[in-house]
Amino acid sequence: MTVALPRWLRGLPVLLLSLILAYSLQAQERNVTGKVTDAKDGSPIAGATVTVKGSSRAVSTDADGTFTLTNVPATARTLVITSVGFSSQEVSITDGEIFVAMQASDAALNEVVIVGYGTSRKSDLTGSVASVKAKDFNKGVVTAPDQLLQGKVAGVQILSNSGAPGAATTVRIRGNASIRSGNQPLYVIDGVALDGRTARPGINAGGVGAIPGSNPLNFINNNDILSMEVLKDASAAAIYGSRGSNGVIIITTRKGAAGGQKVDVNASVGVSSMMRHLEVLDANEYRAALQKYGLESGDYGSSVDAMDEITRTALTQNYSVGVSGGNENGKYRISASYLNQEGIILKSDFKKYTAGINGSFKFLESRKLGLDFNVTVGHNTENTAPISNDAGFTGSIVGQALQWNPTHPLRHSGPNGGDSLWRIPQFGSTSINPLVMSAAWDDISNTTNVLAYVAPSYNLAKGLDYRFLFSVNHQVSTRKNQVRSYLNLENIEDRGLANVANGSLTTTQATHTLNYMTDLSDDFTLTALGGYEYMKFRYSGSSIFGQDFADVSTPYYNYLQYTTQGSRQIGSWDQTSELQSFFGRVILNYKDRYLFTGTYRADGSSKFGKNNKYGYFPSLALAWNIHNEEFMGNQSVFNQLKLRASWGKTGNQEFPAFASQETYVAGQQSFNRSTLENPDLKWETSTTINIGLDFAIAKNRLYGSIDYFDKKTSDILFDRDLADPVPVGSASTWVNLPGKILNSGVEAMLNYLVIKNSNFSWDVGVNATWLKNKITGFGQLVIPTGGLSGQGISGTTIQRFVDNKPLNVYYLREYRGINREGQAELVDDGASFFYLGDPNPDFLLGFTTNLSYKKFNLEISMNGAFGHQVYNNTANTVLPINNLGTRNIAKSLLDLNPQEALSSPITASSRYMEAGDYMKLTNATLSYNLGGFGRVVKSSTLFLTGQNLFVITGFSGFDPEVNVDKNVAGRPSFGIEYIPYPTARNIIFGLNFSF
Amino acid sequence: MKNKFIIATIMASMLFSCTKLDEPVDSAITGEQADQLFGGSNSAPPDISALLEGAYLSTRTPYQDQSRVWAATEHTTDEVIGPTRGGDWDDNGVWRVLHSHQWDADHAFLADTYRDLGRIVFATTDLLKFNPTPAQAAEARFLRAFAMFTILDGWDQVPYREVDGTLDQLPNIRRGTEAADYIMSELNEILPNLPDGPAHKANKDAARTLMMKLYLNKGVYADRANPSFAASDMEAVITLADQIINSGKYDLTDNFFDNFAPKNDQLSKENIWTAENRGGSSSGGVRFHWFAMLHYNNNPSGWNGFTTLSDFYDKFEESDTRRGMEYPGVTNVSGLRVGFLEGQQYNQNGVALKDRRGNNLAFTREVKLKETENNLEITGIRVVKYPVDYNNGDNVDNDFVYFRFPDVLLMKAEALLRTNRAAEALPIVNSIRTKRGASALATITLDVLLDERGRELYYEGWRRNDLIRFGKFLDAWQEKAPSGPERLLFPIPNRSLAANPNLVQNPGY
Repeated sequence: MTVALPRWLRGLPVLLLSLILAYSLQAQERNVTGKVTDAKDGSPIAGATVTVKGSSRAVSTDADGTFTLTNVPATARTLVITSVGFSSQEVSITDGEIFVAMQASDAALNEVVIVGYGTSRKSDLTGSVASVKAKDFNKGVVTAPDQLLQGKVAGVQILSNSGAPGAATTVRIRGNASIRSGNQPLYVIDGVALDGRTARPGINAGGVGAIPGSNPLNFINNNDILSMEVLKDASAAAIYGSRGSNGVIIITTRKGAAGGQKVDVNASVGVSSMMRHLEVLDANEYRAALQKYGLESGDYGSSVDAMDEITRTALTQNYSVGVSGGNENGKYRISASYLNQEGIILKSDFKKYTAGINGSFKFLESRKLGLDFNVTVGHNTENTAPISNDAGFTGSIVGQALQWNPTHPLRHSGPNGGDSLWRIPQFGSTSINPLVMSAAWDDISNTTNVLAYVAPSYNLAKGLDYRFLFSVNHQVSTRKNQVRSYLNLENIEDRGLANVANGSLTTTQATHTLNYMTDLSDDFTLTALGGYEYMKFRYSGSSIFGQDFADVSTPYYNYLQYTTQGSRQIGSWDQTSELQSFFGRVILNYKDRYLFTGTYRADGSSKFGKNNKYGYFPSLALAWNIHNEEFMGNQSVFNQLKLRASWGKTGNQEFPAFASQETYVAGQQSFNRSTLENPDLKWETSTTINIGLDFAIAKNRLYGSIDYFDKKTSDILFDRDLADPVPVGSASTWVNLPGKILNSGVEAMLNYLVIKNSNFSWDVGVNATWLKNKITGFGQLVIPTGGLSGQGISGTTIQRFVDNKPLNVYYLREYRGINREGQAELVDDGASFFYLGDPNPDFLLGFTTNLSYKKFNLEISMNGAFGHQVYNNTANTVLPINNLGTRNIAKSLLDLNPQEALSSPITASSRYMEAGDYMKLTNATLSYNLGGFGRVVKSSTLFLTGQNLFVITGFSGFDPEVNVDKNVAGRPSFGIEYIPYPTARNIIFGLNFSF
Repeated sequence: MKNKFIIATIMASMLFSCTKLDEPVDSAITGEQADQLFGGSNSAPPDISALLEGAYLSTRTPYQDQSRVWAATEHTTDEVIGPTRGGDWDDNGVWRVLHSHQWDADHAFLADTYRDLGRIVFATTDLLKFNPTPAQAAEARFLRAFAMFTILDGWDQVPYREVDGTLDQLPNIRRGTEAADYIMSELNEILPNLPDGPAHKANKDAARTLMMKLYLNKGVYADRANPSFAASDMEAVITLADQIINSGKYDLTDNFFDNFAPKNDQLSKENIWTAENRGGSSSGGVRFHWFAMLHYNNNPSGWNGFTTLSDFYDKFEESDTRRGMEYPGVTNVSGLRVGFLEGQQYNQNGVALKDRRGNNLAFTREVKLKETENNLEITGIRVVKYPVDYNNGDNVDNDFVYFRFPDVLLMKAEALLRTNRAAEALPIVNSIRTKRGASALATITLDVLLDERGRELYYEGWRRNDLIRFGKFLDAWQEKAPSGPERLLFPIPNRSLAANPNLVQNPGY
């Protein structure tokens, strides 16, 4: 295949060109024009297909609903108009413009949604699948597509791991199910399953700490996305077997449509600034505090705001263009985009360039042979600021700025009147000027991703289709980092350091599927799918690290050969794993009333132990369309009433390659045992029950669904401590732990069209999720995680995985208040620990509303989470009262009564555990439909978007929607805040038009 | 066209037919490869030097890090305290509970120490299956014996696997006297195959010194609360000491601190067994001996942590060079003295240093477990036993010292004293004292000898062992109340207990 593929691809451009040419060579008869609108409110319907009945002539409507069919034969009499979500309609061809008002089909029941390895009518679904279309995506500055869904889907929680442009997110579908890092959902783009990792290598940034990772979806052009489907229950996700346990997010890209050639252009420009400030003392408050505490030193006479100095009003530009078109034999789409997002912290930015082409062709007279293909290239350049997950007492740039004594200048006048940075502050040689930090630091990553697939298909017999998909997703990344020797950080000062690292991630996939659809009788239809899939994941890379550079301005990472031998660290790695799967699905539909779906997947993974090479993942589901029953024929309340129930198993195999084998890893001239053979190692299994009800009432003006789910995860993957004595480098082995992780909850989604008339419409959508989560059967096993960072808190862990408690439950000393001596007082003098709260929200809420008045549209999205606690590691160790006299403190400390003494210990306790409840206005977009201009511009829209406009919360940090990675030995933490990259508020102005 | 597509498709299908899913290990080596590499074959002779080097390196973390054996053997005594200084050194209370004898079975550092010592046992056992030479085997077994000795001394329960054992087998446990006897038998077996030196390799005199420790503490391992000292064991201590003394290889070094300085491998005449630290290229964590103690505004800028207690400081005579002195390569560089630092600190130009709030940087005699006053940055007398290496960055040159000649002399004196030969013990002790600038003693008792061991071996990781053997470990001292008998042992870490049901929690925990 690796030989055969390029030969095919060589032929493709020729094919494509000839098809485009063929399309324009049609005989001319007459033109038919018109407009398609929604009968409900008269709004234009874009993308509806207008076909000349009895021929293959077809076009799509533009954004303003208009269409023009050229060269319609004189004999044609009728047009057929179809559009997703509407009943199809036939109209006679008349002279002059043809106006068509489309009736919505039952609560978008005939809407087609993408499911694993195929599509389904929404009305045929038996599982829990949420579909979000492009028009409902979050607007504004969005670097990776997962953020498009934030707050839009019940049961899905999306947290930023960092506010930096391009940073990774934490996505949780129906709660936390794993006590290892593999909690992210599986992403599938047009049938191509992603690896989930990024090729961007990690670096050893010395005392700066571990820099948060990049989002693995960064290479995608968001304007290429047509819809995203979230597969939540086992009926939907079991077809993805051992990778389906955390849910599946299917991304479907835009394709060309039959009809005229169309060009879409999006352009936007935005400014970003800090959403929320963390309250520290300004210079005058600081002087007052010194006086209050009777401190004679600590005032250096100046007045500076260091946080202000390291942040900026950042600019973002985003342009994209898509060209699409085609006819009944071939469709294509070409797109390109450019995003340049400055971060609000100095020296951080993200640039993305993408280009892609996809096509879909039918061949042969019978048009039985089809070919789909796609090539997308994405390139990112990231400049990352010195902000880490685990900075020590000297802090990362945000901590350094927050701690900076506001009376101490950041610069001093240079000899020639110019300013130079004040390198070592007078209030402590270990304190770092954040501007020096910024100047001394560079971290540049270049990541290129190529995703390509080719998928021929053949209609073997009536209803029987064969499809083969072959894809390669190849990502390479290089990263260069330096810390200049003038930074007064231990082991950096007078030495400097540099990293050069590269990573390469290649996923190859070959999927064969057979689809069969037949009517067994007039009332009985059968849809069946069978398939075989092979995937290969390869992750390799290398890194060089060195120290002790000459003090010249040449970037250190460009002459690593100068480094001292003893400082050098060199590493290289290569990990390959394979996955081989057989899967099938049967859907039975009786009279559109009774629906049955059964799926089965057998997954073999090279990562599994040799006694467990294959995992088996079945699911069964039933649905009952009650509204189609005869006895419902006379009622007028329900337009839809559907009951669903499903059961199934999905897996999680996110553990490292070689984990089941005995291996030794290399050190310098040494080998150490790393892993122990475990021939029984296997996937984690989640067994999910889902019961759901879909309904639509009041002529579809009110519709929604309620789902109850219960997910039990067993064979929990964990790298368990071995019995001492254990090898150096690894003291653990991967096992499937006894015990279970339980997640259960209720999801509700409700949409209501409040008002509609010809000028004005208003709809409201709410989604809500109630979640519960618990570990059982763990016995005495206690797994600590949530390691705090900062001065004086080494080795402190505050979360646990323990029997009968929620995952990541807080295990803390209990704070009682400040005593009369000004000391923080703890229950039992701090000798006892208690289970106090947990970071998992009990309740998630998403809210969307759309207001349209004539050509204006206002869309507002909010989301929130409630009933959980966030641990404020920043308040605990970066801004304690002890800093007064040297560094800055949290402003709220001055309000304490009795006054807290300067010697009050910073012991980690419930004092710093805060209610995490919040409601955030994530998105507000006001748009104005300018319509078309002349003969060229068919439609255009101006918009103004505000992102993260405000957040309502009692939390005292930058943003309660936070998850800084504070894992301990790879065991994930959750909901801890530690001097993160602050969240930005963005205001974006843009223009979309098409011609 | 049609046929071509179909043929291509079928070809593609065949190319992607079933795979066996054998996982390739591309960047580590498999157990089989390890067997070939280290086990030798007809074509290549076995070479396990890489594994032996790995075994030596495995001793660095447990013995040279401030939070492992050193914390367990020094913070728990009257020599060291880790005060909480407001916003600093809280560290979840780990330091406080060590000094106040309130640790529990979840104590992170004690648990890590137990695990890390086990790692030495693992690495040294693992390499034995690859047919080492007798000399290599002897070195590995010495390292194992020493690690087992430290485990026995602290926790009493020494888990082990046989050479052909696998990691998934639950280790068996040797306890108390059984463990001591096993270590002794190992040392006797390997002694002929050990090299004579150098000090940074496992060597004959290191084995003899460890045997002395085992004989001296034999009664302790039988009954820690009421140790008895058999005359035959004391005689064995004396015999071994004489073998070392009479070898003529060792003498007292003129400058006490040369034994710990950068290049101590050349300067010291006393060091019997050390861990090699290669300046500028590869070192363990011995640099904490200055970083963990010094104030931020010292040079080097320290972490402002541990101090000693004034009662211990007061055991020294003013003339005793071990209490502190100027040291070339240190004091002339930064003004810093070595040994005990009390009172005002100066830089190399004699300028008085300040703390971060602008007060004089003058280390006080007073120190509390939890500081509550505004002078909390400067409390406590600091101790810098290893002279600072200013030339080698992270990878300092000071070899870490396990065994020194004066320890051998003092153990001999103790054995003599415990067999009522004070008159023979006294000149040994006085020979050390006069060399160090202290006055000669007129009489000697066990209490005086314990103090002398403190003065000579402070901060070297022997204080806990000494206090237990002399029956004083449970006493009250500064910032510590009397403690219960369970404190004579550390608890088996809960993590280790959960992983191995053959372990039993020590009484009282």
